[in-house]
Amino acid sequence: MTRYAMVADLRRCVGCQTCTAACKEGNATPPGVQWRRVLDIERGTYPDVQRVFLPIGCQHCDEPPCLEVCPTTATRKRADGIVTIDESLCIGCSYCIMACPYEARALTGAEAYAFGDRPIASEAARGTRPEGVATKCDFCAARIDAGVARGLVPGRDAEATPLCANACISGALSFGDRDDPEGPIARLLAENRWFRLHEEEGTGPGFYYLWDREGAP
Amino acid sequence: MSGARGGRRQNNWDLRAAGNFIGGGTGTGLAVVAAAEAFMGGTFRAALVLGLVLTGAGLGLVWLEIGRPWRAINVFFHPRTSWMTREGIMALLLFPLGILALALGEAWLALAAAVAAVAFLSCQAGILHAARAIPAWRKNELVPLILAAGLAEGTGLALCVPGTEPFVVLLALAAGFAREIAWGVYRGALAEEKRTQAALAAFEERPARLARAAQWASLALLVLAAALSVPALAMAGGALAFLGGAAIKAVLITRAGYKQRVALPAVPVRGGGGRANPASAR
Amino acid sequence: MDAAATRSVPSFCYNCVAGPDLMRVSVENGVATRIEPDVSAAAVHPGLGRVCVKAFGLIQKTYNPHRVLSPMKRTNPRKGRDEDPGFVPISWDEALDAIAERLRDIRARGLLDEAGLPRVAATFGHGGTPQSYMGTFPAFLSAWGQIDYSFGSGQGVKCVHSEHLYGEFWHRAFTVTGDTVNTRYLISCGNNAEVSGGVCAVRRHADARLRGIKRVQVEPHLSPTGACSAEWVPIRPKTDAAFLLSLVHVLLHEVARERLDLVFLRDRTASPYLVGPDGYYLREPASGKPLVFDTVHGRAVPHDTPGAVPALEGDFVVAHAATHGPDGEVTPWREAKARTAFAVMADTLKGYSPEWVGAICDISPATIRRVANEYLDNACVGETVVVDGETLPFRPVAVTLGKTVNNGWGAYECCWARTMLAVLVGALEVPGGTLGTTIRLNKPHENRLKSVTPGEDGFMAAHFNATKSGDWAARPTGRNAHRSLVPIVGNSPWAQALGPTHLAWMFATDAPKEWPEPPAPEIWFAFRTNPAISFWDTKRIVATMARMKFIVAFAYTMDETNHMADILLPDATDLESTQLIRVGGTKYVEQHWDHQGFALRAPAVEPQGEARDFTWIATELARRAGLIERYNAALNRGAAGAPLAGDGFDFSLPVDRAHDTETIWDAVCKAASTALSGGAQTHDLAWFREHGHYVVPFRREDWYLTPTMARLGLRYELPYQERLLRVGHELGRRLHEQNIHWWDEQLAEYMPIPVWHDVPQRWERAVRAAGADPAEYPLWGITTKTMAYTTGNNAGIPLMAEVGRNNRGLGSVVMNADTARGLGIVEGDWVEVRSTAGVTRGRAALVQGCRPDTVVIPGQFEHWKTPVAKDLAWPSLNTIVPLSLDLTDATGSGADVVRVAVAKCAAPREHAA
Repeated sequence: MTRYAMVADLRRCVGCQTCTAACKEGNATPPGVQWRRVLDIERGTYPDVQRVFLPIGCQHCDEPPCLEVCPTTATRKRADGIVTIDESLCIGCSYCIMACPYEARALTGAEAYAFGDRPIASEAARGTRPEGVATKCDFCAARIDAGVARGLVPGRDAEATPLCANACISGALSFGDRDDPEGPIARLLAENRWFRLHEEEGTGPGFYYLWDREGAP
Repeated sequence: MSGARGGRRQNNWDLRAAGNFIGGGTGTGLAVVAAAEAFMGGTFRAALVLGLVLTGAGLGLVWLEIGRPWRAINVFFHPRTSWMTREGIMALLLFPLGILALALGEAWLALAAAVAAVAFLSCQAGILHAARAIPAWRKNELVPLILAAGLAEGTGLALCVPGTEPFVVLLALAAGFAREIAWGVYRGALAEEKRTQAALAAFEERPARLARAAQWASLALLVLAAALSVPALAMAGGALAFLGGAAIKAVLITRAGYKQRVALPAVPVRGGGGRANPASAR
Repeated sequence: MDAAATRSVPSFCYNCVAGPDLMRVSVENGVATRIEPDVSAAAVHPGLGRVCVKAFGLIQKTYNPHRVLSPMKRTNPRKGRDEDPGFVPISWDEALDAIAERLRDIRARGLLDEAGLPRVAATFGHGGTPQSYMGTFPAFLSAWGQIDYSFGSGQGVKCVHSEHLYGEFWHRAFTVTGDTVNTRYLISCGNNAEVSGGVCAVRRHADARLRGIKRVQVEPHLSPTGACSAEWVPIRPKTDAAFLLSLVHVLLHEVARERLDLVFLRDRTASPYLVGPDGYYLREPASGKPLVFDTVHGRAVPHDTPGAVPALEGDFVVAHAATHGPDGEVTPWREAKARTAFAVMADTLKGYSPEWVGAICDISPATIRRVANEYLDNACVGETVVVDGETLPFRPVAVTLGKTVNNGWGAYECCWARTMLAVLVGALEVPGGTLGTTIRLNKPHENRLKSVTPGEDGFMAAHFNATKSGDWAARPTGRNAHRSLVPIVGNSPWAQALGPTHLAWMFATDAPKEWPEPPAPEIWFAFRTNPAISFWDTKRIVATMARMKFIVAFAYTMDETNHMADILLPDATDLESTQLIRVGGTKYVEQHWDHQGFALRAPAVEPQGEARDFTWIATELARRAGLIERYNAALNRGAAGAPLAGDGFDFSLPVDRAHDTETIWDAVCKAASTALSGGAQTHDLAWFREHGHYVVPFRREDWYLTPTMARLGLRYELPYQERLLRVGHELGRRLHEQNIHWWDEQLAEYMPIPVWHDVPQRWERAVRAAGADPAEYPLWGITTKTMAYTTGNNAGIPLMAEVGRNNRGLGSVVMNADTARGLGIVEGDWVEVRSTAGVTRGRAALVQGCRPDTVVIPGQFEHWKTPVAKDLAWPSLNTIVPLSLDLTDATGSGADVVRVAVAKCAAPREHAA
């Protein structure tokens, strides 16, 4: 079985938001809607302070709370673990937004463009996302599917890999099939200590955060 | 957002959604009053009409809030797990039953409508309980509060309706005390958890404090009304029970709906010496 | 989407000096829609063909509806912030003819005005990046002749200025970095590699963290780099020099001498040189060569005596010697008492114990001592490593400095101490150690190793401005007087822009009475620069700018600087224009490649509106100004990045006529590729358009300068600064001969061994000098960079604001939460930050990662004209930092530091809701 997953190595991430920008541009999300972003979190009190950059977005859970609550079945989970939204079904009730413990979802507002009410040429060329529906990261599912159809391997071949992972300059983001024992995800998870967010919720996120080497003192 | 202009990113439910929970809760309470009145042989139509109107108005407000109102029919697609779908289905039961009860004046139909209303309100409680992002909503202790509050608000509002049976004061009193107990339990649960402190703080703010004061005053007035049988006191107590409850719900939906923040189980180890080996030079 | 209508065009991003980085532009039906990494470059680009967040803003940059899209001329002769310029569109012919007419008139009257200053001035933005977007304009500038480049837009302040000057002087290091791929221990004083180091630095440091490097980040607030470090040391602002000098002290006085790299000190540095009683080197009277004490023969001998083994330490008596003082004064000595330079250094720094310095820096002495010892423990003195078949020292410890540490008072001391930390353990310019990257004051720019030639006294040649009587530039030759005031900056083409560039603005209205009043330039060219925002005391800059007679601004959108312009010329921007750029080798910041070569930026899309390729503009200006032959000759010499003729090839352009843009770049592409491949391969413009870049291997050994120094038998001019001592004496005499005493404080910086003085106190004195009480300004105001904006000239790009704000503090006043509580400030409150020079307002962002005595205002904003940016309402430190001679150091640099008071304030009207 294929189970696509993202790994963020928090030791590498510098909070540069290059992934955020690449995702926004590649997925033509409207201003204010970010499927991928990096949180800037502070812990501790002066002078013992740590600042952590945490790439976040849809965690593509095994048991997605958003899917459970969605009244329309617009939210679905594919066999490969990718959680999708059928924008033609969504009624924009925002219930999924209240249910997602990872703040991964946003409701698109009235058409808005970078420079105001009118689209610039690049925005017009890409078209706009439907208004009034929930949106979120889909691991660039269309890109993955197109790549796989051409025999490419997501996570190895850029053309079959989510834009954020392709763009990441520090090497923090890695993508691939978690269940491929030879793939990068399985290797990274085996070699490093990791956590998932809100593990106690039982959501089974497909997003792993590395924080130290396995076996480090 | 002055830099990225025009963007809108909805992150919370607003007063329109709160209106649904207020309308649904109060409407359910009124439906229960109507059923009780029907079985006591009294006139129940006013309470039931008002209950259906309020429930319908609440749903109408939600309809105004959703992004794609003309697709609202899709809300019925996911009964297997979605409390929102179930809420919709219960509404589909409640309204025909209620209208039939009004049309035929049968007590058992009024009772059936009340049962549907309670089921509808339970779905509303389920909606909040399943909102996993919001620690203050997902508390088990919120479910009895939503139910008790609905009864307290509905019975309270019923007392403001001319012609309401006098025994409803006792119902309102019982519901009011039930709400007090459920509130206390819920507050206690919020206080126990770190993640719900922000919500707790929202309930410490002036609007919530005023609402709670109204609820206490309503209880006092209702006790007096029951003891002295003064309809004006019952009406005042009922009004405060409704208003206080509605206000607390507005706070619950729009102000206490803090998303759960990311909790880091570990912080990254960013180098640190001790096991450094040059990558390339040798 | 029709796949056939989608193209992927190779290009590069050089929005900051930490590039260039390679990328591709997706073009759908003629519209650029996306920026992507250039996967094909992953094997050669250390950043794996990726670009940083700024590059993703280039799509919005291209289609920004606020662009200036036709040439414009000003119709309102009055200039000022509150004057409507009344710009009206004109044709390119009218615009170019108007400029050319003035140029021809100036040429007829002479390039210099009555004060001896160039009549034409030009200002470009940060770090030389504009040169890689202005096509062949450098050839036009070269064809013109003398130009005043001294009106800075932040140079000396927003760069790592002192490092540029001292780094290049000591080890050909215009910028300095650790050998991150090999370093084990890195002390970073405010160096913000994770923000401004570019893609390559981010990747190198991330890799290093995973293999366990320990980076200690020493800075007043917790930057992203601090966040990504193993340890944060929150130092009091502007006390880094004391901290670094104390580290040197620990190595000199608290550890066994043999743990230092004594061989390196003896053979590769001037440590054994004997210093005479007057502070100058004792020299052999006949040859003038500095003496060392030969332990083999027990006597003083010239430093280059074969077979001599010089003593590193000791007190000696030299029978016959001479010292060379200022102005060629030779003092003979008999039985002169002599001490080695090393011993003088050790003595000078005897008092700099961690206990003494800890109180200055607000750092625990134990931390200072531990950092020094960890540095030494990791230095691996005595170990070697094989690189490209050569056995080289392996010293995996480095020290890097950031902006502000590297600017203004105290920066010289920091640069010296940092370099000495490397020298003491032999970690300068060797694998793992502290390295230079590129050169700008010396030549050839593309190969710093080749710039090393033997100079005086066993050192490599240095090219200072003359200070001797008769040779000194007694009258400024540029409006910032760089040749007259800053000897170390030299007089190469880059020197002027590295001089005290704020002096040009200050002297424009407040010239020293000893020198002729500097007339305003008759034409001022401005490109990719906005000094009205990016320099200090922006009000004063704007007022001064308004006095410029004729401003030609290459304009992208309206902004605060071109608001003052007379002519606006819309140039084709990043995705619309052609340029070949040198990539690889070792370049600014941390661009250390195993390849070198060239990358092409070709138009991915047609220019918007009437915007024209810069090369076309430059050619037309040259033609219309009657300079076409000189312009073509400059192109043939290499003004477009590569000489067009060389060994076995000649792609020179006929000089007698104007050539179109494609013809010019085709010749440059062919010449560059032919020269790079040694004649093996010639790639034309079409080839580069398809492939994007062409590289050949670059030897890893050439990352390091020390092997070259060893081959040439040269010593690093450290630790003792005899040359600077002499130059300072001479400069003092020259200035005093003119009765100039306003530079005396700066003269005191010419110290042979730097010592600490109360640097922070200078800022308190400045408050007092402004007539205020320092107690009323109890906090430090500093600034910091953000990746989305740094050097990007992109404040008007909405995408940058949106994603940049995911990071805490951008657009805000960042302050310690406890300090804020004491002032009654809560998160998001509007606050005003006030200095003696002005006030700036913004929302408070409360953090724990900031010293309680410091507030941080990221970036440079407070735009009032630039579309989008002017609506941000973000604060700016530039608004409140004074332009001040008192706060200018001897290199002409000042720091982004100011004493401030912070208080809650009302929201600006438009944000009141």
